[in-house]
Amino acid sequence: MTMLSVRREVGEFRKRYKWMALAVAVSMSAIVARLVYLQLVDHERWAEEAQDNITKHVRLPATRGLIRDTSGKVVASNRAATDVYLTPQLLDREHVDLFARLMGFEPQQTADLLERLGNVPERRRSHLVKLYADISREQLAALETHRREIPGMRILVVPKRTYPFASLAAHAIGFLNEVNAEDIKRFPDRGYGAGEWIGRSGLESAWESYLRGHDGELTVTVDVRGKHQDRSDGSPQSEQRRAPMPGRDLKLTLDMDMMRSVERAFRGHPSGAAVVVDTRTGRVRALFSKPAYDLNEMSGRLSADRAAEISASPFRPLIDKTVYETYFPGSTYKPISALAALEDGILNESSRFECPGYYELGRRRFRCSHVHGDAVDMRKAVVQSCNTYFYRLAELVGLDRLTKLSKDFGLGAVTGLGINTEAAGFVPTRDWYTKRHGDQYWLGFTLNAAIGQGNTRVTLIQLAMVYAAIANGGTLYVPQLVQAVEAPDGSMIEEFPPRVRRRVAVDPKYLAYVIDGMFGVVNDPNGTAFEAKIEGGVPVAGKTGTAQVSRGKLPGGVPAANAWYYRRSHAWFAGFAPADHPELAVVVLVEHGGQGGKYAAPIATRILQEALGGTRAPQIQTGAAATGTSGAQVASRSALPAAARAGARVKD
Amino acid sequence: MAALTRGMRDAFDWPLFVMVATIAVLGVVNLYSATSAMPVQLRDIYIQQIYWLSLGAGVAVLIATVDYRYYERYAWFAYGLGIILLVLVFLLGREVRGSQRWIPIGAFSLQPSELMKVFFIVALAKHLHDDPRTEGRTLKDLVIPGLILALPMALILAQPDLGTALLLAAIFGTVMFLTHLKLRSFITLVLAFVVSAPLTWRYLLKDYQRQRMTAFMDPENDILGTGWHAHQAKVAIGSGGLTGKGFLEGTQNQHRFLPDQHSDFPFSVWAEEHGFIGSVALVLLYTTLILWGLKIASEARDRFGAVVAVGVSGLIFWQAVINLGMVCGLLPVVGITLPLVSYGGSSVLTVLMGIGLLLNISMRRFHF
Repeated sequence: MTMLSVRREVGEFRKRYKWMALAVAVSMSAIVARLVYLQLVDHERWAEEAQDNITKHVRLPATRGLIRDTSGKVVASNRAATDVYLTPQLLDREHVDLFARLMGFEPQQTADLLERLGNVPERRRSHLVKLYADISREQLAALETHRREIPGMRILVVPKRTYPFASLAAHAIGFLNEVNAEDIKRFPDRGYGAGEWIGRSGLESAWESYLRGHDGELTVTVDVRGKHQDRSDGSPQSEQRRAPMPGRDLKLTLDMDMMRSVERAFRGHPSGAAVVVDTRTGRVRALFSKPAYDLNEMSGRLSADRAAEISASPFRPLIDKTVYETYFPGSTYKPISALAALEDGILNESSRFECPGYYELGRRRFRCSHVHGDAVDMRKAVVQSCNTYFYRLAELVGLDRLTKLSKDFGLGAVTGLGINTEAAGFVPTRDWYTKRHGDQYWLGFTLNAAIGQGNTRVTLIQLAMVYAAIANGGTLYVPQLVQAVEAPDGSMIEEFPPRVRRRVAVDPKYLAYVIDGMFGVVNDPNGTAFEAKIEGGVPVAGKTGTAQVSRGKLPGGVPAANAWYYRRSHAWFAGFAPADHPELAVVVLVEHGGQGGKYAAPIATRILQEALGGTRAPQIQTGAAATGTSGAQVASRSALPAAARAGARVKD
Repeated sequence: MAALTRGMRDAFDWPLFVMVATIAVLGVVNLYSATSAMPVQLRDIYIQQIYWLSLGAGVAVLIATVDYRYYERYAWFAYGLGIILLVLVFLLGREVRGSQRWIPIGAFSLQPSELMKVFFIVALAKHLHDDPRTEGRTLKDLVIPGLILALPMALILAQPDLGTALLLAAIFGTVMFLTHLKLRSFITLVLAFVVSAPLTWRYLLKDYQRQRMTAFMDPENDILGTGWHAHQAKVAIGSGGLTGKGFLEGTQNQHRFLPDQHSDFPFSVWAEEHGFIGSVALVLLYTTLILWGLKIASEARDRFGAVVAVGVSGLIFWQAVINLGMVCGLLPVVGITLPLVSYGGSSVLTVLMGIGLLLNISMRRFHF
């Protein structure tokens, strides 16, 4: 009986079993439906995410191209530097303390580290964050020894730009720093990524696309902690590599030996600049701006304090004074005035004026440096830099001719050097003066223009090209800094021949006459640069200049006691050598140096002597016997007789 | 103790055996894959699982051998033993990840809350068997079963182990579903739940449990935080596609993006490597096993057997459905293992003890 009742009761549960079975079926169907959704409907999305999970792209930085000078000396290259990355999320206080000890930190540095770690935004905390760049060998050794004790630390070896010549030719070579958001936006096609380097100034910036190369990429399979993982079967598909393409090397026209020589010659002068160009090719041999900065420091993590210190210097180290800054040319302009007068037949060799030490125009008296006597001809006016002669000349020549010849010689327009936002300078025209002065033109403007003291402004590179053109018979070259682009294996990719900008229409015989005067500047005992003459050295021809500076405000932060310095004239010397057979043109500017003949000319003659004196004895080659193959020299030969005559006088 | 007679050998429930054995073998295979990318000391986990399965199989055979009516007599004794072990957890247990769940025994550790599941089913069956009313039950009739549930549940909650405690409640609900409950009593129960749920949320749940719940409610909001595990499990399952990435080829698994892939999340490994086809096959295996358990219950010769069979089926059902649901992102992450597939000695032992009971009831359904 009991059995029966049990059975009946069990049977009574039966309805409930059906409900239970139904519940089981429904629940399991829900799971299956979910699987349909995840594995069939939405599969693509999850597959992609799974792939992303295990794929990391590592940038393989391209090696930046080297920069060499004309003789092959390396001026910019790369060395291995060590950067340290940390993963903030994985670090506790003990790790930080250990890290600080290994890095040899002072308490303040440790505090800085903690602060920087604290400032990492939440979403980046599980990522590697670059905290220290270019650590020392000692720090690297210490970190390597204990690397397993600091979780999430990555030590990466990266190429770092290095400049063996430090501050020499710093403005021309330029420096790098890390790209910022603006760069990335500005050059979308270059594909800059955060943490990459970009040329900021000089050649590094102008030739960025050649030097940079193309980064490669390593696609690696990683595990959840970002650690590189091979597939369990070690199959090679876990790693894909696109090799980086190294940048191109540049071979410059600059000669670092000459740069050194220029640097030495400038010793004792806090601020100035110099340009040396090959008169036969327009190739720039030296581009010197003082004071400069250490490129290695600028390319590193320049501290804000140091950056402020550099930019606050009254000598403006950040300004490239050869290219970016413009100056009144002063008397270095006079050869252009002289040529303008000769070319149009307004004056000739025998035209003479009296110089009582001033020139009166109406009620105004235009001053000269000395009383030059009653028979000043053009040669004497150039040799002794007689302003009075040029005032009279100006009166006869007029502003328009001066303007035209200035422009013919390339003033008022960029030369095309192509670095450091070259300034165009300024050549005033009659229109410009009349607009500026209420429809009135005064002859005084012309007078001042003729002695380079009006409103004409030039850069050193412009003036160097002018003097090179005078020296080579009238060929105005485009100044050239890069001679060739080379592949990393040294093979030539592209060579740049000299480029002529224009042939200035000046009669060779007039050129020779002016050059003869310029020879006298250095070589006549009463020449303004006679003091700078190196006895028995390379014969130099040139023109001194003493450019008055505007009486405007002093640079910020300069005490009044130092005002005398800033009121002092700029000392100029522009010239070339050898006078009879020119090879190099040089322009020297000593900012607030005083008299050009006394302060700038010795620098110039010394540079030229060191550059040319070693290879060439101070003896005279005559006319057609001169060697040389370039077209420029053919043109310059016509200038030779006069120069040769001048040279002969040296011999006497 | 009676030996297996010839007749009993004929009555041996081969389908049950085959289903359980298949799941266990797939589980071991899956464990091998799940641990292959782990540190060396964890890589032989699948061997340990084989030991536990063997031990569990032995225990199941022993349990099946003796007529289950003997167990009815010792039901309270088993229940008492379970309670004592749960108390011992607090005296001897070691704390792992913020909760005390294990008693160390030599090189192994025992999880009494697992064993308690079976003892609890047996005790509940004993009570219902001794009180064979069929008319609608009122709340008063639920007092004693409620106490049978409340005691172990409280001890387990105190460890704290919310998942296992809720699982006991689910088994309790399943078993009580068999008996009639008056509508009024049912409504009262529902009301009680509605009132107590917010209070439980506020005062009884630990922070990590609340976090898991909120992460579940809004999983995309917190992919890198609490919801990260659940999210990566979904990535694994979804990326498996129709046919899966192949044995030992699951990238989520091999590159360790999966959380607790050997204990709580083995199904994500399975689904990634064997795809939709493999996943559905496993789900169907569980479904069949559970329905088979219900069939055994419906054919049991007495109420004790029926209740035990429903309890064991319920145990497997709830564990499977909660674990699969949580791995698929249908349910919040709670520490519920997948029967016979998750690694864990106590869990394997418990499930196989339950299977032993099912086998026992199935084999003796024609004995009167």
